[in-house]
Amino acid sequence: MGDSQYSFSLTTFSPSGKLVQIEHALTAVGSGQTSLGIKASNGVVIATEKKLPSILVDETSVQKIQILTPNIGVVYSGMGPDSRVLVRKSRKQAEQYQLLYKEPIPVTQLVRETAAVMQEFTQSGGVRPFGVSLLVAGYDDKGPQLYQVDPSGSYFSWKASAMGKNVSNAKTFLEKRYTDDMELEDAIHTAILTLKEGFEGQISGKNIEIGVIEADRTFRVLTAAQIEDYLQEVE
Amino acid sequence: MSRGSGGGYDRHITIFSPEGRLFQVEYAFKAVKAAGVTSIGVRGKDSVCVVTQKKVPDKLLDPTSVTHLFPVTKFLGLLATGTTADARTLVQQARNEAAEFRFKYGYEMPVDVLARWIADKSQVYTQHAYMRPLGVVAMVLGIDDENGPRLFKCDPAGHFFGHKATSAGLKEQEAINFLEKKMKTDPEFSYDETVQTAISALQSVLQEDFKASEIEVGVVRKDNPVFRVLSTEEIDEHLTAISERD
Repeated sequence: MGDSQYSFSLTTFSPSGKLVQIEHALTAVGSGQTSLGIKASNGVVIATEKKLPSILVDETSVQKIQILTPNIGVVYSGMGPDSRVLVRKSRKQAEQYQLLYKEPIPVTQLVRETAAVMQEFTQSGGVRPFGVSLLVAGYDDKGPQLYQVDPSGSYFSWKASAMGKNVSNAKTFLEKRYTDDMELEDAIHTAILTLKEGFEGQISGKNIEIGVIEADRTFRVLTAAQIEDYLQEVE
Repeated sequence: MSRGSGGGYDRHITIFSPEGRLFQVEYAFKAVKAAGVTSIGVRGKDSVCVVTQKKVPDKLLDPTSVTHLFPVTKFLGLLATGTTADARTLVQQARNEAAEFRFKYGYEMPVDVLARWIADKSQVYTQHAYMRPLGVVAMVLGIDDENGPRLFKCDPAGHFFGHKATSAGLKEQEAINFLEKKMKTDPEFSYDETVQTAISALQSVLQEDFKASEIEVGVVRKDNPVFRVLSTEEIDEHLTAISERD
């Protein structure tokens, strides 16, 4: 990877033992738009703000929540272009697994392989780390799962998590509201309320995105109309 | 190599600054403005029009060789705002990619696929140290089989969006403000209205009335999906229509 002239890692240890490029990457994530995920007893929901730079932008051309496999979806906070690279690589890895083993890739395996890619870019020559954190939501034989992957390549399974600008308020809100026996409908309402907490301006079906997966193991992104319905329920 | 603050390298190659920014990408945006040209794109009901200034800095230059408007395929156009050299290399690669797509898949490359390809290439330059980002903002236009007229803008950071109208270059923000007012009501412009909105936006923002030789105009229309650069006569007709309207 990278030209031979840059066969040295750009991410190197500081005297205090820190990898500062990774820390800067996390700062880039922290200035991105808020996104969050909640794992319910019967499904997972992920959501994000979709603030576009101008009303002239055609919002139908933008989709932040992406499908990796029919039963795994992902949302990011941070640098959009970097997320496209990871989505593409993850989709390919999932396809290769499917071709080899003739079964869908388990969520943990896909997360592990994606995280490995992110780690590579913190160690390989001539490249910088990815400026995104990912929330991966999936449903497989082990049930509903939610993972967060950071620019360093470390990942954890979460009951509920948030990333981006409003992360500390959002996490506090989630900690208060989360219950282990929560069902998906409650989780969707909680997700919307959490986004609403730090939202600047009027929240609507057009400036947030929500993706859900339940026992049918089919990840889907809600339409603007569906989101409006939920918003009215939350009022 | 201990790098507390990037050791100053964060300004020279695309690694993160302590605030999580990519200075090289930000400087690439400045290079786009430094070219001193403003471009505008408008999407109508069944057509897309892009307009840019045609600055010929020297009277001895052959004006036909000065252009920022390039056909990528017969049906896709690319308006490159920024450094001309970077623009030409982008267009060369885009043309190659579109031709390979047509050969490989048996149908014409759609607008959004080209825009995504340009944006993904730009993203690679922001992540790999060996190549700097290009100092170009590319506006891609065409008629999509399923979705109709489409206008995409791709920037040095690797972002790309579809637009109802947009601008790039020196007076980008002023032009976007002007266009936001015009498009607030979600109008569905006819072909003539699309072209005239684009040209009058440019005139208003640069506060000068153009001669046909001072601007370049490119269009695609649903009833003629070929990407076409308007001739000076056609531009004159639109300019006259605009001045009569005012």
